[in-house]
Amino acid sequence: MAGPSPSPHKPRRKVKKTSNSSEVSSVAPSTTGRSSTSRPAYPLAAFLWPARSSVSQWEILPLILMAAGLFRWAAGLWGYSGFQNPPMHGDYEAQRHWMEITTQLPVSQWYFHDLEWWGLDYPPLTAYHSWVLGKVGALIDPSWFTLHTSRGLDDPILKVFMRATVIISEYLIYIPAAVIFVRRLTRLQGINSWNASIALTAILMQPGTILIDHVHFQYNTVMLGLVLASMSSVLAGRYMWSSVFFVLALGFKQMALYYAPAIFAYLLGVCIFPRINVPRFLGIAIVTMVSFAVLLLPLLLGAFYDAYRGIEARPETFGRFAPLPIFTEYSYLVNYRAWYFPIIQQLAQVIHRVFPFARGLFEDKVANFWCALNVVIKLRNYPSELLQKAALVATLVAITPGCFIIFLKPRKELLPLALATTAWGFFLFSFQVHEKSVLLPLMPMTVLLASNHGLSKNVRAWIGFANLLGVWTMFPLLQRVDLRIPYYVLTLLWAYLLGLPPTSFAIYKQDGQPTWSGFATSSLHCIFYAAMILWHFMEAFLAPPHGKPDLWVVVNVGIGAAGFSICYLWCLWNLVVESGLVNLSTPEKKKAKSQ
Amino acid sequence: MADLYPSIAQCAVVATAFKVLLFPAYKSTDFEVHRNWLAITNSLPIQEWYYEKTSEWTLDYPPFFAYFEWILSQFAKLADPRMLRVYELEFDSWQTVYFQRASVIATELVLVYALHLYVQSAPSALKRPSHAAALSILLSPGLLIIDHIHFQYNGFLYGLLILSLVLARKKSTTLASGLLFAALLCLKHIYLYLAPAYLVYLLRAYCLGPKSIFHIKFFNALKLGTGVIAVFAAAFGPFAIWGQIPQLLSRLFPFSRGLCHAYWAPNVWAMYSFTDRVMIYVAPRLGLPVNQEAINSVTRGLVGDTSFAVLPEITASTTFALTLLFQFIPLIKLFFDPTWDTFIGSVTLCGYASFLFGWHVHEKAILLVIIPFSLIALKDRRYLGAFRPLAVAGHVSLFPLLFTAAEFPIKTIYTIFWLVFFLLAFDRLAPASNKPRVFLLDRFSLWYIAVSIPLIVYCSLLHGMIWGKRLEFLPLMFMSSYSAVGVVGSWVGFLVVFFTS
Repeated sequence: MAGPSPSPHKPRRKVKKTSNSSEVSSVAPSTTGRSSTSRPAYPLAAFLWPARSSVSQWEILPLILMAAGLFRWAAGLWGYSGFQNPPMHGDYEAQRHWMEITTQLPVSQWYFHDLEWWGLDYPPLTAYHSWVLGKVGALIDPSWFTLHTSRGLDDPILKVFMRATVIISEYLIYIPAAVIFVRRLTRLQGINSWNASIALTAILMQPGTILIDHVHFQYNTVMLGLVLASMSSVLAGRYMWSSVFFVLALGFKQMALYYAPAIFAYLLGVCIFPRINVPRFLGIAIVTMVSFAVLLLPLLLGAFYDAYRGIEARPETFGRFAPLPIFTEYSYLVNYRAWYFPIIQQLAQVIHRVFPFARGLFEDKVANFWCALNVVIKLRNYPSELLQKAALVATLVAITPGCFIIFLKPRKELLPLALATTAWGFFLFSFQVHEKSVLLPLMPMTVLLASNHGLSKNVRAWIGFANLLGVWTMFPLLQRVDLRIPYYVLTLLWAYLLGLPPTSFAIYKQDGQPTWSGFATSSLHCIFYAAMILWHFMEAFLAPPHGKPDLWVVVNVGIGAAGFSICYLWCLWNLVVESGLVNLSTPEKKKAKSQ
Repeated sequence: MADLYPSIAQCAVVATAFKVLLFPAYKSTDFEVHRNWLAITNSLPIQEWYYEKTSEWTLDYPPFFAYFEWILSQFAKLADPRMLRVYELEFDSWQTVYFQRASVIATELVLVYALHLYVQSAPSALKRPSHAAALSILLSPGLLIIDHIHFQYNGFLYGLLILSLVLARKKSTTLASGLLFAALLCLKHIYLYLAPAYLVYLLRAYCLGPKSIFHIKFFNALKLGTGVIAVFAAAFGPFAIWGQIPQLLSRLFPFSRGLCHAYWAPNVWAMYSFTDRVMIYVAPRLGLPVNQEAINSVTRGLVGDTSFAVLPEITASTTFALTLLFQFIPLIKLFFDPTWDTFIGSVTLCGYASFLFGWHVHEKAILLVIIPFSLIALKDRRYLGAFRPLAVAGHVSLFPLLFTAAEFPIKTIYTIFWLVFFLLAFDRLAPASNKPRVFLLDRFSLWYIAVSIPLIVYCSLLHGMIWGKRLEFLPLMFMSSYSAVGVVGSWVGFLVVFFTS
């Protein structure tokens, strides 16, 4: 085998040629994208083929980033959610509105302003981000952000500006994080830079993130990028930086909580195993708390300053006492004239806005366990208290194994799998899940492409399966705003580049001796792919039967939930195998990895 | 063939994905022009095609293109029949946009096939460079900007041109090459600019013997002659019978237009105009007379007569004479050395001459130079040296075609991507020349490429910030003068290479 070389340059091809004979006989884990005949095994490898040897990273990286940027920008030419769609418009309007809230209102009122029209319900870092973007945008055209008269604005130049803010935010956070993460992970596992470039391109061309952020419109990549940065700090052994980045991710979008148990378990694990390390533990704890404090500081200082200037956080109360939104029954204990009251009020309001516990188990049709179960049993008939408890228990059950393993075996290379497992657990079983949340488990799962064997047929097939299924469950969301064409183009392009169905089935052709698990994988995947394709035809050409207008969406949810459960099990199984906790005999372990 | 990755087909798939994403992008009036032609050819009898003038965008391409539009219109019916009504001006339902954009992508398959044949027919030592050149044409930012955003069918037409050039490579298909070129002329008459090179090549390589020019191959001449006449008869015959040829010609050759097109093409006349503008300020000190009326004429950059304040006026016949003169020079060499490489070189030089000296040249015509040149740019490093400034100048000069904010990142990033990728790849692939270098082109191209960056920044960002809406013509003039220097420089460089190799 061409051994993994630590040098950034790929050994010449002849090394591969000489090992052909041994490769055919053994089911060699082909870490590279090329098969034994020295041909690129899938189109993405072909595109990077000229860069195999002696091309410096600094030539190939700008090209990859430019290509990824071009596809993002071109996809952004399509419509966004809520385009010319009154009364509420959509996510685009929400983000635009937050830019005007933060730039036009005093800080203390940010989290109190009109909840009904896209009230600010993301953590403070999003508010600061919106403030910066709103300030920059107002330099170009102040009429974009005039608070009341600019609602539902669809100025094409504003669209260009908003699209540019998504791309720039991504290129400042997600993309550097991804580049560094891939570099560190591949160095750690001794993968050559050519494969690292393939993995990076595949990660950046992931259709889900492009479709949601650059077409449908949101800033998920900022949060995902901060989580990636946190993971990549772990790879570098910088645990405190890791916790800083993770706090920032949480501070940008509360959804990062999906990862929190695994990150917590890992960081706790590295403080205990192999031996208890108290200074490290204290360092992480203090840095985390300080980061939270710094994150909240501008908001609280603003609230203070406003109180000092006599600006009410809630002008509609006319200076009278208003109970706190959370712990309402205890709020009479607090003196609302005290100097510290604005802080308590602000914190309580942020928590109340960011975590709306009062809402139902699930909002829309989403491919998770509850929504699928709802088809069989009408969950509406049960008290919501019970459902919330059931959801909590189920989520805990789902995330505990993954967290437990990463706690006991806090190894860097296990982190993506642990994050993916817990995120799948949350996605499947927690309440208040949104279709778009599938991006969270997909991110750590997709970066596995850069890990050892990440580009082998088996791992590629699974990562591809999860991504294509994930995008497919978001189709109803995209189709509602006429985004079928970018959906098909970006999804099929990614499938094509990675040699996945429906463009190619070569990925399921087993090299060497066929194995049962390989056969099971391919038949399982093929059933799902067939179902997805069939579903697309039915959705396009058959009207749902009378009285069941949501039939196609429900079918989508059911298939999606089943497929995601399998992805969850796959991640968990791999985590178990890779961690070496379960003592599998060596040949079997090798097999599980390689096909 | 092991190393020819990514393959042409793979690139075509990914490029197609990108082009489909560009469906909602800005489209120029050419979109409406072609929609109108679909409507004219579909809904009117042939006799009225060249008389119809409901829309200002009358049919001004030769008959084969009209037939091509008629064929497309048969499919357009299925997409949205409303686009086929002559009176539905500016009609652009999403079906119309998708259909027209998709038709550009579909007809571009001709180009993919032609490039495939080009690589196949290359000698095995040149397979890899040819493959790279083929990809550079397939992914050309020129075609992307003009066809897939601005809207035209150049991919299809240049595909036929390349097919014809490739067919000329082999003795057995030379006749087909000539006939195909004749058909291409009947699709779009801009290719007349390249006709002299074809004429000489076909005459020398096909109708005359290889040893002596007095050995005339009568049968070949007869086949070629009747073939070409048959092609032209198929195109123009019906109109000749109805006596519509004068009307048709007046549509095809509107000589009433001005010397420079709306957006100045980067040719010698752009440099001439630039000099003239500068002279307005210099002339009074030198005591030269200044024509006051002319001062405000080019400043708007709109279609119309350009008049010069200081320098003498340029007439159509001057441009015509200069074009023919500079086309004639390389043809002498072609006549005595009728090899394929010289032929492609002559086609390129014919393109150069017509682009640089022609009347009312459109900047899109730069493809007439870039595309044939790409086929031989990797012959050796000297060719590449001449090609490099052309690649930069030619594509940068297309930027003013797209002026909307949303398309700005696409045109710039895509062009930079293309330039970085292919100039790096070409640099590795071009073999060293066996002739010594005679020209300082390397230094020239480096400087030239370096200047482009601050210039683009100024023209697209700083100018608007400093001057606002005033002096709008200035960035256009800078860009076209800059590009003109590049095109002229590469032309001179290529002439030297052509005559010394």
